[in-house]
Amino acid sequence: MDTYDWLLFLHVTGAFMVLGGVVIAVVFNVSALQRERPSEIALLFRLTALAVTAISIGMVLTIGFGLWLVAHVDYGWGEAWIVTSLLLWVVANALGGIGSNRDKVARRLAERLAGEGDAPNAELSARVRDPVSLALNWGSGIVAIAILALMIWKPGA
Amino acid sequence: MVALVRPESWNFPLFLHVLGAMVLVGAVAATAIAAGRGTVLRGIAFRTMLFLVLPAWVLMRLAGQWIDSRENPSDDATWVGIGFVVGDAGLVVLIGTAVLAWWAYRHPERSWPGRAVAGLASLYLVALLVAMWAMTTKPD
Repeated sequence: MDTYDWLLFLHVTGAFMVLGGVVIAVVFNVSALQRERPSEIALLFRLTALAVTAISIGMVLTIGFGLWLVAHVDYGWGEAWIVTSLLLWVVANALGGIGSNRDKVARRLAERLAGEGDAPNAELSARVRDPVSLALNWGSGIVAIAILALMIWKPGA
Repeated sequence: MVALVRPESWNFPLFLHVLGAMVLVGAVAATAIAAGRGTVLRGIAFRTMLFLVLPAWVLMRLAGQWIDSRENPSDDATWVGIGFVVGDAGLVVLIGTAVLAWWAYRHPERSWPGRAVAGLASLYLVALLVAMWAMTTKPD
């Protein structure tokens, strides 16, 4: 394996962690939407947070080894697909970061309610189904898929 | 460096193949996590196997065959062999895991089916990582 192979493998590993993590987050997030008991919602949000950790590590791997690849392969730094991908990487991080912070508030509320009788709660239900959080999280995943498409088609390369 | 000179007609099947593989990795990981968390999440493990893992496998495998017909690599190439083994033998593992996940869901009093689902899913995750390495670095 030469340097290019290693860089590509680590870059692609990061991409799999990002989109694989998005899928894990979707599974547990959608499951949380169908629950009412705070203890169950808290558990599912903790598992979603696990996925967010995988996504964050993957994001660092994709950008780090991606930039290294650009330099190694002699792509132009100003090529449209590279510049657009970098912009979308920032957008995906921003959307996911804000969405994840809103989920953290819901998780803390669920954990508190679980310790206080574990009864269904209207405020928790509203936070779990918050359309802004859902839009941010789902939007972040869709942007990540758009980056994958750019990586494959490389328009303008 | 095939990626640098890839013909335009390969892109769509490659996109579907990679997307299917990424969804497969995430769904198998979600199954392993859910099945390993006691009885409360066994329904999630079973539904994830049924509605995400198996459809993602179909997308990954069919798109893989599509790109294989375009790229036409040597049948003797190690990376192609690894891909076919992990893909095709993997279906047997995944069907077995789905049946076990259903069993675990229907019999919450038994702990072994849940542990078996988590174990098999984790094992297949490692196989997928090996396949991803082979697809990326393409060893002869």
